[in-house]
Amino acid sequence: MADHSTSRAPRGLTRRDVLMAAGAGLVLGIGSLVVPKRYFRMPQQAQAFVIKVAHYQMEIADAIVRGIRELGIVSEELHGKRILLKPNLVETASGAPHINTHPLVLRGTIEAFLRLGAAAVMVAEGPGHRRDTLAVYEESGLADVLTEDRIAFHDINYMTGYELPNAGRQSSMRTLTFPALFKEVDWIVSVAKMKTHHWAGATLSMKNLFGVMPGIYYGWPKNVLHHAGIENSILDINATLKPHFAIVDGIVGMEGDGPIMGDPKKVGVLVMGRNLAAVDATCCRIMGIDPYKVSYLERADKWLGPIGEDAIEQRGETIASVRTNFSLIETIPAHQGIRLA
Amino acid sequence: MDQPNGQFRVDSTAWGILASQALGESADRFEPSRACLRGEQGDDGRVGVSREHPESYWATPLAILAWQSSPASQAAQSRAVKFLLKATGVHYPRKSGEPGAHDTLLKGWPWVADTHSWIEPTALAVIALKATGHGQHGRVREAIRMMLDRQLPHGGWNYGNTLTFGRELHPMPESTGAALTGLAGEVDRETVSRSLDYLQGEVDRLRTPISLGWALLGLAAWGGRPANGEALVERCLENQTRYGEYDTSALCLLFLGALAGESPAKHPLLAHLDSTPAILVK
Repeated sequence: MADHSTSRAPRGLTRRDVLMAAGAGLVLGIGSLVVPKRYFRMPQQAQAFVIKVAHYQMEIADAIVRGIRELGIVSEELHGKRILLKPNLVETASGAPHINTHPLVLRGTIEAFLRLGAAAVMVAEGPGHRRDTLAVYEESGLADVLTEDRIAFHDINYMTGYELPNAGRQSSMRTLTFPALFKEVDWIVSVAKMKTHHWAGATLSMKNLFGVMPGIYYGWPKNVLHHAGIENSILDINATLKPHFAIVDGIVGMEGDGPIMGDPKKVGVLVMGRNLAAVDATCCRIMGIDPYKVSYLERADKWLGPIGEDAIEQRGETIASVRTNFSLIETIPAHQGIRLA
Repeated sequence: MDQPNGQFRVDSTAWGILASQALGESADRFEPSRACLRGEQGDDGRVGVSREHPESYWATPLAILAWQSSPASQAAQSRAVKFLLKATGVHYPRKSGEPGAHDTLLKGWPWVADTHSWIEPTALAVIALKATGHGQHGRVREAIRMMLDRQLPHGGWNYGNTLTFGRELHPMPESTGAALTGLAGEVDRETVSRSLDYLQGEVDRLRTPISLGWALLGLAAWGGRPANGEALVERCLENQTRYGEYDTSALCLLFLGALAGESPAKHPLLAHLDSTPAILVK
């Protein structure tokens, strides 16, 4: 993969890295050492852009171009770059298009990046439930769109992988295996769906990245990640891959028993930003979910990104103007107590 | 066996051998590929999807099938069988109030070491073990019970979950075809009739090689073949203009499905139906 750090704030060695590296030694010698949480805090500011898009027939590319510009992304960052879009394609069911990222959101995203000077845009996915990726590609309607637009689609599930050390170190996985294709692209963009999730509370741009782990190494479902802990794995993948941008399809999301069996929920928004944790926290607030009660987001806070409302500069629409409470199921533990006051 | 991009993968090689066999190629033609698979085998008998990923040992049953009737591969095959009979997924007692519905203690085989057992690797292991004369082994009998336990109430299988938080999940053609192939000759038709109905209802609309290949195999294992099977396969092959060249494994699976109705006794994935006495399980 191209050097992701070129278009981002310098990451280098973080305070967390130092503290974690020191942690093992400290634990051995001074097991009871307690460091006040304030010392871990790093001032962070991220932006999230929210735009109203009432339905899928609207000019989605215009909305995304506007968002990218409002987020301060300059043309040099995209000019001549190869952009990989990772949608959320899980499985298909008759009458349930709200399971997957809508194909017209992908079309709009492709058009937006090309308009802004990208050399190439491609779409790649490795569905977690279906071994037949092409079937999901076809049945979701994405094949029609990408064939017409002559955009390449790549099946991640069968790609030879390359290993990276697990930079997140939240799970016991020492390395993570990503598809070799990722070495050939400059930007990775999570184009997710706004959904509740019965294990994780909500699935948005960060959880969407489960689909970048090839099935030939992680299985169907990606059970290696479940055994490593869903939340640990979300954090590890994001910390290691360092995706560049996120767009969440909240034009019609999914409420209730997501990510598959839930009901459609019309919100009429797209949410985007460079920092995936901040984007997901914003989505949560729009869904009427407290991001601090979604465990992986709470753990990502001040590390992978800020999730506090005061640390995220909201651009475009205000959260209050688009907030649409998603129904939660009280018998599902991950939904209990996560409603935003 | 190479992928369209020139990369080697163990599973593609095994599927390639099986498809070549079904197509009636002379064994001499694919003996070098069998030797190549032998070179990928681990010391404990497993065949990982690549040398760097021995934990992804789901390719082991495919290698066992690819080595069938190859004198030069007999020792490798025996070691792989031994490994498979020992290996299992992670199994644990289901806690009360747990959101899933299947019997988590019933052992099958996982895709990857240290994870739960799932449908397709279990079906493949059952087919491979039956083909090598281990149909009565306790692990195979338990795996058959495991697959039946994972059958969806309204018919069909998915990757291997039935209900979550009380909701029945969706069936998938590829998982259903694999499970039906593994269960053929082991249970009566009534036990899987809803799944056969589901697959028969789906097959006409399948356009992609993994789903169509397994669907044709699953139906053929139960004596069925859609009248338009050939046309479905042709349409699927033509779809490469739309999707790009198929992954070698997927393409070979499609060929195996296409050839499934012709002479099951000579078909590498269906020959086990003749080699094991049918036991009816309700």
